[in-house]
Amino acid sequence: MKINPFFLLLFAFCTTVFTSCKNEEPEPAGDGDTNNLTLEFDNRVGAQKLVLGTTPYKNDFGEEFSVTTLNYFISNVSLKKTDGTVVKFPDQYFLIRQVDSNTWEPELKNVPAGDYSEVSFMVGVDSLRSASPIAGRTGVLDTYAYGEDNMWWGWNSGYIFFKFEGTSPVVPANGAGLRPFQYHVGGYGGYTNRAPNNIRTVTLPLNGTATVRKSISPTIHFVVNLQKFFNSTTALKLQETKSVHDPSAAAPLANNYVNMFTVDHIHND
Amino acid sequence: MTRLWAGVWVVLLVWSCSSPERTGPEVSFTVPANFPKPLYAFERNPLTTSGVELGKALFNETLLSKDNTISCAECHSQPYGFTHHGHDVSHGIHNLKGTRNSLPLQNLAWESEFFWDGGVPDLDLVPIAPIISEVEMGETMTNVIDKLRATKKYPLLFKKAFGTEEITTARFLQSLSQFMLTLVSANARYDHFVRKEGITLTNDEQTGLQLFRQKCSSCHTGELFTDRSYRNNGLFLTSDADEGRFRITNQEKDRYTFRVPSLRNVAVTGPYMHDGRFYTLEAVLDHYAENVHDTPNLDPILKASTGQRGIALTQQERQQIIAFLKTLTDEEFLTNKQLAVP
Repeated sequence: MKINPFFLLLFAFCTTVFTSCKNEEPEPAGDGDTNNLTLEFDNRVGAQKLVLGTTPYKNDFGEEFSVTTLNYFISNVSLKKTDGTVVKFPDQYFLIRQVDSNTWEPELKNVPAGDYSEVSFMVGVDSLRSASPIAGRTGVLDTYAYGEDNMWWGWNSGYIFFKFEGTSPVVPANGAGLRPFQYHVGGYGGYTNRAPNNIRTVTLPLNGTATVRKSISPTIHFVVNLQKFFNSTTALKLQETKSVHDPSAAAPLANNYVNMFTVDHIHND
Repeated sequence: MTRLWAGVWVVLLVWSCSSPERTGPEVSFTVPANFPKPLYAFERNPLTTSGVELGKALFNETLLSKDNTISCAECHSQPYGFTHHGHDVSHGIHNLKGTRNSLPLQNLAWESEFFWDGGVPDLDLVPIAPIISEVEMGETMTNVIDKLRATKKYPLLFKKAFGTEEITTARFLQSLSQFMLTLVSANARYDHFVRKEGITLTNDEQTGLQLFRQKCSSCHTGELFTDRSYRNNGLFLTSDADEGRFRITNQEKDRYTFRVPSLRNVAVTGPYMHDGRFYTLEAVLDHYAENVHDTPNLDPILKASTGQRGIALTQQERQQIIAFLKTLTDEEFLTNKQLAVP
């Protein structure tokens, strides 16, 4: 096969350009430089974007369902640098609500410049904050923030970490002829006594590096797959469990939903 | 009488300087001489005259409920020791019924866990429970705050109490706590008697007190008449029985246990037990003497090694104990105009 020398040259040229682009060192991480890092939560059901309302989905057991509410707290984010040091962000609390796209991509503020290779976060609100004085509960931790979409339990006081509601034809009809399912997970372990603790921590490698610099504020794009809620650590069938409102019954749900989160990719720009 | 025992009160001064936000004169929270140290963290929420005044207005405010018909005072009425008189379980909006008997609100500074199952560990978080409960006030915290913001009255009261007109969840709850903390009952005949303030008890009352100390005070301990524990006192269990503290802790040992309530003002706070099943003190004493059931987690105190259950009490002893319990009624507290519906 005869190779046109022109193409060879072009090939060499391109390789050089692309390699150099790829190998280009970002600006050095300056001491004391900080920037924001976006945590993008992309809620999906399998290969479909999660759309609230009547869109029908099917879980692994062939049960049809549609989703009316998906909310969850993300807190206590920590980032591990490629050199192994860990940076913690204990005072930033996020509430992801599928109904409000403004909540899907929260910004982690004041991230020190550095190269990060692992992320970790709690799904829920830590026990310290769950039991802290009322005056410190601002933003998404203020019950004022919830309206009708409540994320606080009054009778067994504490935050509802995770709330997933919808309808399914496999759920028996209630008095109003509706077929709702409701999963509310909370329980921070109790204030003075031992009580159910459903706080879960998710740790994920970034499969790459998030490079935070003075001029670079990266995005970690998480895919959150609701299929895993029904089927990962344990099999959760709508027909068998249509409603959970109690911390003591919620552990299997929490053990499943930690598996929903994966890092899809990182943007360093 | 006030003059006599003002001298023995220990005054716990709460300095306003610990909270620069607060305005107006601080209120000194007085600990009655026969009471232990309070448990509420006053340094976080110092009482002020205007804070207590605001809390009292909110306590009596029907805007806190969905249809603006019910205030806290509805189920916590002063003449009945801040309980819901005559109701075994409390009624909320649209006459919906709860599942438990409303507890008296008194001496809350000495409590660290609230409700029959202790599910709320901080007085400042307590009001959220009835507000958002569908069978009580049925409202959202968002609407409550927004409704208060839309009034003429409240921004001014918040300014008086906190320095600015801003109405926040924290200020709302802290002012309610401030008022509730002033609900101190410590002037019953019993108190004057133990503080030796010139009051004597009748023979029956004194015998009742002795019997009470022998037979009841291992749970209804000390001057607050509770050891703040959770116990199963052997009530008959229906098939759908309330599981009590088990709902909170999910621990088997807590199934069917409920908070040991204080007995202050007990003569006016009936009906009794978590579900209000006993309408009179006689019925309560009859239960302990004759009808304690051996149910899971029955408190060992109510179960003798001989297998005999309950507390041995003759009819006369029951009457003497009741005579003593009536000395815990604090008329001054039940009629104090400062605590009354405005």
